[in-house]
Amino acid sequence: MSTKKIVIDPITRIEGHLRAEVIVDAHGVVQEAFVSGQLFRGIEIILKNRDPRDAGLLAGRICGVCTNSHFRGAISCVEDAYSLEIPKNAEIIRDLIAMALFIQDHVVHFYHLHSLDFVDVTSALLASAKLTAQEAQKYHNNPYSSDYEAVLTKVGNFVKAGKLGPFSNGYWGHSDYKLTPEQNLILISHYLEALKFQTNISKAIAIFGGKTPHPQTLVVGGVTSVADMLNPQRLNDYIFIIKEAKEFIDRAYLPDAKLLALVYRDEIKGGIGRANGNFLCVGGYEFEAEQRLFCNGIIYNHDFSNITEFDASKVTEEIDRTWFSGDAKENEICYTDLNEDRTLKTAKNDDKYSWIKAPRYDGKTMESGPLARVLVSYSKGNKLIKSFVDEFLHDTDLELLDLSSTVGRNGARAIESAYICEYIFKLVSRLIQNIKYYDTDTWVKYDFEKLQKETKGRSFLEVPRGVLSHFVSIKDAKIENYSVIAPTTWNATPKNFDGLRGAYEEALIGLKIKDTSKPLEVLKVLHSFDPCLACAVHVIDADGKELSHYKIKTF
Amino acid sequence: MRVVIIGGGIAAVYLANNLKKQNYGLDVTILSDEKHPPYDRIHLCNLVDNTQNIDDISLPLDPTVRLELNQKINKIDKESKRVFSDNAMFSYDKLIIATGSLPISLFDISHIKNAAVFRSADDCDIIKVGLKGREIVIVGSGPIGLELLETLNEMPRVEKITLLLRGSHLYSKDLSIDSIKTIEECYTKKGKIRISYEDEIVDYVVHEGEITLLKTKKFQIENLFLVFGTGIKPNIENLRDIVPCNKGILTNLFMQTQDKNIYAVGECAEVAEIAFVAGHVKECTLQADCAISHILGKELLAFKLEVTIDMLKVGEFDLVEVNSPKFKTGYEKVLITSKADNRIDEYFINHDKLTRFIGINSNVDVGYIETLINSGDTLDINYLYQNRLIGERGRLICSCEHVYHQDLVDIVTQTGIASFSELANFSQAGRVCGRCKVMVSNVIQDSQHLIDPNMPRKTPEDIKREKEIAQAQKRIDKFNALHPRNNLTTDNLEFALESLDIGKHEVNSWISMVTANMQLHPNFEEVVEQGVKTLNKVPIIWLELSDCSGNSEAFIKSTNPAIEDLIFDYISLDYHELLMSASGDQSETILEDIIKNQKGEYILIVEGAVPLAMDGKYLRIGPKGETGIELLKKCAKDAKLVIAVGSCAFDGGVVAASPNPTGAVGVGTALERTDVINISGCPTNPMNIVGTLLSYIMFEELPPLDKFNRPLWAYEGRVHDNCERRGHYELGEFVQEWGDSGAKKGYCLFEMGCKGPYANVNCPTMKFNSGTSWPVQAGHGCMGCTELGFFDKFANERKYVEEEK
Repeated sequence: MSTKKIVIDPITRIEGHLRAEVIVDAHGVVQEAFVSGQLFRGIEIILKNRDPRDAGLLAGRICGVCTNSHFRGAISCVEDAYSLEIPKNAEIIRDLIAMALFIQDHVVHFYHLHSLDFVDVTSALLASAKLTAQEAQKYHNNPYSSDYEAVLTKVGNFVKAGKLGPFSNGYWGHSDYKLTPEQNLILISHYLEALKFQTNISKAIAIFGGKTPHPQTLVVGGVTSVADMLNPQRLNDYIFIIKEAKEFIDRAYLPDAKLLALVYRDEIKGGIGRANGNFLCVGGYEFEAEQRLFCNGIIYNHDFSNITEFDASKVTEEIDRTWFSGDAKENEICYTDLNEDRTLKTAKNDDKYSWIKAPRYDGKTMESGPLARVLVSYSKGNKLIKSFVDEFLHDTDLELLDLSSTVGRNGARAIESAYICEYIFKLVSRLIQNIKYYDTDTWVKYDFEKLQKETKGRSFLEVPRGVLSHFVSIKDAKIENYSVIAPTTWNATPKNFDGLRGAYEEALIGLKIKDTSKPLEVLKVLHSFDPCLACAVHVIDADGKELSHYKIKTF
Repeated sequence: MRVVIIGGGIAAVYLANNLKKQNYGLDVTILSDEKHPPYDRIHLCNLVDNTQNIDDISLPLDPTVRLELNQKINKIDKESKRVFSDNAMFSYDKLIIATGSLPISLFDISHIKNAAVFRSADDCDIIKVGLKGREIVIVGSGPIGLELLETLNEMPRVEKITLLLRGSHLYSKDLSIDSIKTIEECYTKKGKIRISYEDEIVDYVVHEGEITLLKTKKFQIENLFLVFGTGIKPNIENLRDIVPCNKGILTNLFMQTQDKNIYAVGECAEVAEIAFVAGHVKECTLQADCAISHILGKELLAFKLEVTIDMLKVGEFDLVEVNSPKFKTGYEKVLITSKADNRIDEYFINHDKLTRFIGINSNVDVGYIETLINSGDTLDINYLYQNRLIGERGRLICSCEHVYHQDLVDIVTQTGIASFSELANFSQAGRVCGRCKVMVSNVIQDSQHLIDPNMPRKTPEDIKREKEIAQAQKRIDKFNALHPRNNLTTDNLEFALESLDIGKHEVNSWISMVTANMQLHPNFEEVVEQGVKTLNKVPIIWLELSDCSGNSEAFIKSTNPAIEDLIFDYISLDYHELLMSASGDQSETILEDIIKNQKGEYILIVEGAVPLAMDGKYLRIGPKGETGIELLKKCAKDAKLVIAVGSCAFDGGVVAASPNPTGAVGVGTALERTDVINISGCPTNPMNIVGTLLSYIMFEELPPLDKFNRPLWAYEGRVHDNCERRGHYELGEFVQEWGDSGAKKGYCLFEMGCKGPYANVNCPTMKFNSGTSWPVQAGHGCMGCTELGFFDKFANERKYVEEEK
């Protein structure tokens, strides 16, 4: 059967430079897929020979979207190397910044980066306001925007506003758009609301982070924003912003995710966008003694009943098909270029085709992200998250397995957002309790000169897009080696000699592309992972593929 | 830089004032060999008849210019760059010789009591004392000689004057007989003056330091006082050994002599390619401008001869001359005379083109004549006749500044000024060569009654601002006309704002903030608002190269993102990978379309560094797998403006930090261009991007930039100077370790490695995320992220130790 190769580059509405090439058969069904990171910056190489205390400010620049995640990852792994136990307050403030980032990221992803794969802007105009209001009632008894007449006029005006900028040249009218005009109108109106939402929520990050993107308040041993922490007005501002955010998430985001799940039920049940069913979650976010927002655990092959503990020693990195040299001790670049027709070199099973390295857990490719967190935590019986998941599955008449799909990933992300919003307040009240009892410490004192000159550290964090790990080895009080595995590294991994597809590639297999000149289906699958390419590309640790020699402490 | 100017005349003063104006930091010294501060030689006559004293005719000099009088320079040491007078030594980086010219006398008069030249205030004293009870003999009839003749004619003490002329003409040999007669009559009417044409001195007798008898071809004169107005020569006698000279000191077109640190300007100079010129203030100021451009390394200005305008008012007649360098003998002449008005207009024509005009009592619009000569159009004599009347701006008053009668009246009525000195704030009329100063004063006095007593007084800044606003307005209108492709109207934008629930109040407050951030007066708000609404007319491509999307992310989180989103992301940002819905081929099409069809119109914004190592293949974008540098070059080629946003685009940022594994550079370096505007910062404050785009729209030219091409209004202030914790710094209250009692009280973070003293940007005032906070407020301190190479220099929490040189 004749096959055809489709190249999609640039993939827009993601962070960074991602290329996808899919090979389809005569019916447009994807037979094989290759995704490739197209930018290499070498931040780890730049980190070498620097003062370990400077790693945070520099590594933070790995990504401006997952801003703060890498900042914290770097600071935490240096603290781990020196066995520094930071004050409770500092941990809480770091969590408050991180939690606000979670919900900001998820909302921006859903509405601004992903929803246009489901929402046809032009169709929304045909909606009836009255019917839209009725429609919205189906997903929440008190929907976020109730005056749909006004919304319709607004959206009408908006489209009337002529040139649509980023809306122009989309795939409007594609048969894969399934929402009714009324449903489109609901989502478009929330798209507009979400623009305001995401600035407000970014203020919450800035209250304790100084600014965002690229907050600047984390230092090895704690945080610097102690004056903000002690200012009741600042705390109040934070709480107020989160309250407003919670309103939006409960009454707009979560209902919209349910709406998609109901409309795209066939796709979900058909397992569209499902990867291999291996999930990785390192857990974290302690908010009461022994209780954490997320449990750690490994799921193989969608087997939710046999969840194993996460074991950091099972994490390895391969570079068989990454543009690095396979046998060199050092991080040697081995760029093999594109084919003459400017497509990826993928013909042979040792052709290199991406800057993204290939992390494996126990030799397997894993999916990481909100879906993994929700599945692992729920399956391990995390009481806190249970009601959120149950409600979603009940309202959408789905099973847990169904979440492992393109639309389901968005469901998991929305569940997680609502869940986090609920528990943020507990974190804030813990902070207030501490301050009340005169614990105002935000930094653990140490004398840098007296710290070990040679040591190693690592950090495993759950960040909005999945598992983030930083590894540092220090020699003569300087960074000797640095290595990062980011969520997108896991999900967008290239193949190895093992031929195993990563989550992105696997999720594309079997996908039917109706119109190969408008590969909307491919975008939809990839967007559901919330790709972040700046994060994904990292050099492998120079000591070799084994990461197990780092000190391991799992949650 | 130390600039030393030798000379005490108009050239020296003009040079000094304008050097200071363009670079206030310069150290400028004037060395004059006179005992008086520089004064205006054109008004020397007023010293002779005592209507003014030396202070009245002094030239305004920038008070920070150092003025050394009585410094006759007798040695210049080019090697060590020093000049020596009898009693002092001055060292220079650049030396400008502006010694002007010396009058010529036909024989040595240095020891003769009753003879003088007419060139300086001292000469006036000699004439004033010497003329008592004597017959005055003036030799020569240049413009200043004629004015002196007029002055003496009006002085009761003077009874008899003889004007000796070698030729048969007054003023110029090209004048018609009618004109000469008209001028002559004005002088001779009173009976005091006799004019002797084709006459010259043939002999004289000197007794005890006094000429007792003067013999000319036609007369024998006793009891006389002799004044030479015969001509001038460059005042360079003691300089001939220093630099090559011909008639004057030889220079290139930038007035630079053979020694690269020595310039010559004015009547002492001779531009080698053009030959010697003298006699007009205009040439002198043009030369000065050329020299200044060369010395300060600004946009170079090469000297060339231009059309000059001379005006002479003597008694009952006034004379205007407009002369072009293309004037040659062998001309044709058109004469238009009016007996009734005693008016004569003489048009000189070479090859059917007007090259010179001399008008006596003329009512012709001089500006029109000048335009006509400059245009080089073939002359239609009828047209000349029909369009000869003075325009609505009235008579030209100041030929140096091109200020007409009505312009002055307008200034008076708009600003309510009452005197010549107040005029200085609004116009330089009457202040360049000074010839028309009296006329200017008269116009000001005569139009006082036109001032509306209830009118608010306008400052020079008000007037200037009004002009700028009007210009910005024009430019916005032009934009609206230029780019019909984006047919979004203001109404539509308002619809769009409405759809996002953005009220008028919110927009207004945002506009005020943008205006304030750009350091513009609140009066600009209206044009800023219109500028914002016009931004959608400018196609914008936003390229992400080797970056982290931090600046894009900052953009959609900016102070009032709903408004900025709408304006940039949803209306005018045509290509932006993070936000647009099209992918792959579709997005490529948009890009190609803009590049191809909107050449020279679109703005390119670049985020991220440009990796150059490995042929740029560390970054590949698009279905054709173009490298980052290929794509950048393609997009930049026909862009109207390239803006590098963020630190990576500025100088490579974190990507170029040591050891710079991908050979990353900033956008300017990658493109090998010096006109890329940088808006550095990690990330940059989005408001500064908005402001830069707006100033492009409103003012066409780029905003004033610092040495790194960053807009001054955003990058001029030092973080340390505007810091909210500065008070604690002054009091010596510092945070000593993170989280200590000082940290809780908000003390200064200098000891914790704050780089505020080394960073220049508006963070302390603009802050981030709707003014929520900034790194200093959040207790960390600044890391100098707007500065060159900051990751290797500043991005840490230790006190910065300046590198040893």
